[in-house]
Amino acid sequence: MLAVLRTREDAYGMAVRREIEGVIGREVTIGAVYATLDRLEAKGLVESERSAAAGEVSRRVFVVTQRGARALAASRAMRERLWRGVDLGRLLPKSSG
Amino acid sequence: MPPQRTGRASPPDRPQLPRLPAALLGAALPRVEREEVLDDLAREHRARSESDGPFAARRWVWRQALASLPVLVRRGWWRGWSGFETPSERLQPGEAMFESLAIDVKFALRRLRRRRTYTALIVLTLALGVAGTAAVYGIARRLLFEPLPVRAEDEVVAFWFDGAWSETKFLAVRPVMDDRFRSVAAVRLSDATLRIGDGPARLLKGFSGSAELFDVLGVRPVLGTGFRPGDDRVGAEPVVVLSHSLWRELGGRPSVVGERLEISGQKRTVIGVMSEGFWFPDPGIRVWLCEDLDPENDSGNYGLIGRMRPGMRIEAMGPQLRAISRALDERFDFLEEWDLSKDPVLTPLRERLLGKVKPAVLALLVAMAVILLVACVNVAALMLGQLDTRGTEMAMRSALGAGRKRLLQQLAVESLVIGVLAGIAGAVLASIGFPILIRALPLGALADVARPDWALFAAAMAVALVASTLIALAPGTAVAQGNLQGTLARSRTGGIGGRGGSLEHGLVVGQVALVLLLTSGAALLIRSVDNRRAIDPGVDAAGVAVVDLQLPQTIERTRIPQLIRELVSAAGALPGVESAAATQRLPLRGSSDNWGIRLESRPDLPETSTAFRVVSPEYFDTMRIRLKRGRRLLDTDRDSNVTEGVVVINEALAKKYFAGRDPLGQRIAFTSRRWDRVVGVVDDVAESSLDPEPVPARYMVFEQVPWLLTGQTLVLRVRPGVDPVAILAAARRAIQAVAPAVAISEQTTMEGVLTQAIGPAVQVRSLLALLAGLALLLGAIGIYGVVSHFVARRKRDWSIRMVLGMRPARVVGQIVGRGGALIGAGLVLGLVAFVASARLLASFLYGVGTADPLALAGAAAVLVGAGLVAASVPARRASRVDPAVVLRES
Repeated sequence: MLAVLRTREDAYGMAVRREIEGVIGREVTIGAVYATLDRLEAKGLVESERSAAAGEVSRRVFVVTQRGARALAASRAMRERLWRGVDLGRLLPKSSG
Repeated sequence: MPPQRTGRASPPDRPQLPRLPAALLGAALPRVEREEVLDDLAREHRARSESDGPFAARRWVWRQALASLPVLVRRGWWRGWSGFETPSERLQPGEAMFESLAIDVKFALRRLRRRRTYTALIVLTLALGVAGTAAVYGIARRLLFEPLPVRAEDEVVAFWFDGAWSETKFLAVRPVMDDRFRSVAAVRLSDATLRIGDGPARLLKGFSGSAELFDVLGVRPVLGTGFRPGDDRVGAEPVVVLSHSLWRELGGRPSVVGERLEISGQKRTVIGVMSEGFWFPDPGIRVWLCEDLDPENDSGNYGLIGRMRPGMRIEAMGPQLRAISRALDERFDFLEEWDLSKDPVLTPLRERLLGKVKPAVLALLVAMAVILLVACVNVAALMLGQLDTRGTEMAMRSALGAGRKRLLQQLAVESLVIGVLAGIAGAVLASIGFPILIRALPLGALADVARPDWALFAAAMAVALVASTLIALAPGTAVAQGNLQGTLARSRTGGIGGRGGSLEHGLVVGQVALVLLLTSGAALLIRSVDNRRAIDPGVDAAGVAVVDLQLPQTIERTRIPQLIRELVSAAGALPGVESAAATQRLPLRGSSDNWGIRLESRPDLPETSTAFRVVSPEYFDTMRIRLKRGRRLLDTDRDSNVTEGVVVINEALAKKYFAGRDPLGQRIAFTSRRWDRVVGVVDDVAESSLDPEPVPARYMVFEQVPWLLTGQTLVLRVRPGVDPVAILAAARRAIQAVAPAVAISEQTTMEGVLTQAIGPAVQVRSLLALLAGLALLLGAIGIYGVVSHFVARRKRDWSIRMVLGMRPARVVGQIVGRGGALIGAGLVLGLVAFVASARLLASFLYGVGTADPLALAGAAAVLVGAGLVAASVPARRASRVDPAVVLRES
């Protein structure tokens, strides 16, 4: 979902795939992206529609729904709460920060 | 409907993607996404080939395609199953791979769930047919078709007169045979006891032979060696070869070779261990013993097996056999009925080992094939019954725009689902049913060889699936041929003037014929078992426990009577036991223990023999053998130092040797050494087998017989109300307390011995009766299915007639009559088939011919009854419908 948001307007399958690959630095397959986006759409967290720019191939473009945004915010808040009071400083003295 | 592209042409600068990965990905994507993904992939492929080179770019495309494929297939399945459809692609045709499949599976499951009876019948029918075939073929393959665990089994033969060769005779003709065969061994079954330390002796099934045994079989032990020449000389070191399973039980140490074990009271050196999976002559054998052959011992109970010289055939062995026969004739004088030199003949080893079980297995194989056929006919009839409703459904879907491929796919998927369900049910049935089947067959120790055949299970399942799919496709092809209007119109009018159903009728006729085959076979066997049962064995078998003992081989023969007396009194003292006795040979256990007889009053009598039974005095009371004249054997007769023994004879002996004279007080003998006086005459007992013709027999007490064997049997009559089986455990403990060196070889009841004596017919009968019942059930299902389909098709027809004044009873009559006509035709066909194939059963029959009218009539009556009941259910339903409702519906 974050990758869909980061890709902004042009969030079609291959673009999302490239975005994820760029961030995590590992190869991601197109099949996995489509399957995941399908599931997210079935849950109502993203939605898609067909874009049809002239002369271009029609693409299924994804946007995050309000529900999706809420879910993202909730998950971030949850993570932050979990991180509170965790100090990795002693375990990772050199790369802290 | 022609495939529809998304409308836009590919951009002209689209670079060439490697074709195969593109096709793979394309197939796994819904049509509407295909162009987008392939286009994106192509762009990135081009970019990568510019930056990283074409080879790396190609590899990247391959990686993408291969890694995406499973995910996309799973997605397709998930979409079909969950019904998810993104709004951006709604109403776009061309599902992805597996998406339509998932939809069809879901639909098929829903449809089958709604038609529970149909599904249950069809799944069960298929499962029974396939599981039964796999199980039966598993038995047949191992016993009839697979090679024996012997090298070049075609060269190995069994000699004539099994069990009649003595050590003297074998040794006398050994040189003659060695010239004419590669090697010949004297062999016999001999149970042995194994005693480790001071523990109780345990019984091992054993097989003993002369030194040539393993040469004849052409096998070598995995550890150590087989018997070596000279191992069978008197005074040679006693040796034993262990089975793989026994070797493992004893610790599985290779060093066991060379150790000495106490077997049958004698120290024997282990010289070899056979390989796993080797068996001979049956899988129950645990030890192979090399016997010392005594040229003086002429009390023979050996059989001979031999290996012919390479290239020799049984049919060409005539001259060799005549030479052996001549050699025997020159050296020995034979009793008429034990003349070894007469009619020499060789039997293939397979015939000797498996010949007895062959008819039973073959009969079963045929019966099972019939069941499978009946099951297939049933499945076909059930599926055909669905045709009309299916035709309507297909036409409707086709009218709504379903493509031909999708319609056929749905039908195929449905039969696949049925197949999978039947496969699961069948696998469960086969694994539960196989051990039961094995126990129900008269296989004896050979049962251990048989395994269910899962390869065949899979093959049978596949065949059944393909067949049922083809049948399922029938309504689809009708639709595909395009007459939608006709199909729809016909289904609306309920089928008047529609298909005549002659295929279905043909199926029922065939089915009835097949079922009659099995029920007649079962009826014949039931009759012959009844005939056997009707024979009076002369003993009261109810309430008698039987314990077979193996005394240590090394026991002094003069000690045996005393030991037996102790065992009998210990067994008689057990709670619940009324009386106990011992005998050297139980009735109904075959015709050995025949001893020569001489009569004082008829010195001119040619040499002959009769059954000879050594018993304890309590024997007649315990077995309830009726005394006819004189007295029974008494405790006071137990004196070995007598100049004249006492003997009790049976009526058959009295009639044969003392016709017209009083046998009491006469003197007879088995040797020239001493005369024994006849003191009583008892009723005839079926001493050797259940035969209406009694055999002459005589009885003496242990103390007065000089040659006793180490195999003895205790019989225990229990008090009324006590189960003889319940006594066996206590009897075992009592025996072990009295004599730990005595092993118990078998525990059973006299009823069990009686059943055994009735022979394989009993077991084959139960099995065939079971299969016939199954076939009858399947047949009734088939008749029910076809008649109710016929009724459903003609519902409107009947309704109109009823409106015009036909009475419901006549409706029932006509429908049942129609069913009856089919059954009648099937019966005629079945009778012809039965008469042609009844030879298979001939070896099990007793007192009935293969064309016994009573049995055939009974079988036919049962079949007609079941068929008419099956037909009357839908008929009554038809007679009860309200014509107004039917006519309004249509």
